[in-house]
Amino acid sequence: MKLERSLLLACVALSSPLSAQDGKSRLEGRVPEAARPAIDSLIAVAAAESLPTEPLVQKALEGSAKGVPADRLVNGVRRGLLQLREARTIVVRAVPSQPAPEGHVAAVSAALARGLSPAVVERLLTVAPDEPPVPALHAAADLVAHGFDPDSASDVLIEAHNKGLRGDRLLDVAQAADHELQRSGGGTHADALARVRAMLPNLPAASSATPVTRRAPKGS
Amino acid sequence: MIVDLGGGMTPIDPRLQEALDGERDPGELPTDQREAYARLMNAAQLLAAPPAHPVSVADRVMAEIRTMPPPVELDSWWRRATRWLTRPFAVTLRLRPAWTLGLAAASLAAILLLPGQRDSEITPGAAEGIAQFVGQFPSARSVEVVGSFNDWSRGSLHLRDENHDGIWHGTAVLPAGQHEYMFVVDGERWIADPLAGRYVDDGFGAGRQNSVLIVRSANMVDASR
Repeated sequence: MKLERSLLLACVALSSPLSAQDGKSRLEGRVPEAARPAIDSLIAVAAAESLPTEPLVQKALEGSAKGVPADRLVNGVRRGLLQLREARTIVVRAVPSQPAPEGHVAAVSAALARGLSPAVVERLLTVAPDEPPVPALHAAADLVAHGFDPDSASDVLIEAHNKGLRGDRLLDVAQAADHELQRSGGGTHADALARVRAMLPNLPAASSATPVTRRAPKGS
Repeated sequence: MIVDLGGGMTPIDPRLQEALDGERDPGELPTDQREAYARLMNAAQLLAAPPAHPVSVADRVMAEIRTMPPPVELDSWWRRATRWLTRPFAVTLRLRPAWTLGLAAASLAAILLLPGQRDSEITPGAAEGIAQFVGQFPSARSVEVVGSFNDWSRGSLHLRDENHDGIWHGTAVLPAGQHEYMFVVDGERWIADPLAGRYVDDGFGAGRQNSVLIVRSANMVDASR
């Protein structure tokens, strides 16, 4: 038993630096040389703190692809690191009984970037600590982005969860609320949420294909 | 004896014959016969002399062969096969114009129909979903999607506008979860998807936003229905 635990700990200890190493190698030839030392050290710091490094690697690749100047590129990656730290604090507070899973930390960081408050994120995490948090967090962020009150949005999502909706089905809650808001014409956001609440858990499901866009106004 | 002196076959003069036979002193011959005597004696000496090349033709051929470099090895079967495959062959193709036109029409139909079939044949894995990208860029020469799902690298996900109506579209199987992306138009203009519905600041301080895409797992959607 001790041997198994030791091996597990060794794997965990090794995996972060290895993934950080892999991330650094992906930056070769893509990130400007002027920004490489700073970005490498930020990624190394994240790995040392057991934070997910992939979001930082992605941010560096994104900025390089967009031709962002080196100083702003480094600042963008640094901002990402700070957000991951904040996200980990929230995850640890919401789910204190287990080490913060990297997937949870990355998802919370993304939700914070989308504008969700730490309080709302923490509340949603607490309700379903063992489930992937991405759908619930994005459903909440969708509702807030469409002008719904953050606390009311959390309430309806928690109610949907309690009535059996899980995973991607929580995204349908936000979609239904938006639909109800548009359908009601002059109705309020609270009215739309009330109608969605009355429908739970029988909400229309989205198709399996993710419709990214529809035919729409000109993009250029 | 008949001797060819260069002008045709003529019978030899008896005095010359005697001189040649050693029965007469060549000095007694008239001048023209002395010249003929001298040419004949030279010819006789040449014929009596040993040949310039002491070896036979066969010996010379064998000597040549011995000077050639020895063969390194016999050609292996794959080398012969490679030679055979790469050797040009003349092929004569006879086509009937009607059949040729039919073949061209069938090829065109296949080219036009296959892209649609490919889209419909995409099958996502257990933790994947299908993303459909559509954007309206009437004057664009190219539109591609660049995002976290392809390490923000160009050239892997191009949209198509087959009927040239300015509406570009494409389909991709992506891992379920959250992705950020942008459209890159004509290889230089970065544009957020106008209808993505979800956006996030890209964090580089210029106020630019990425589009956010949540890919639903096809299996999870089916299971939740």
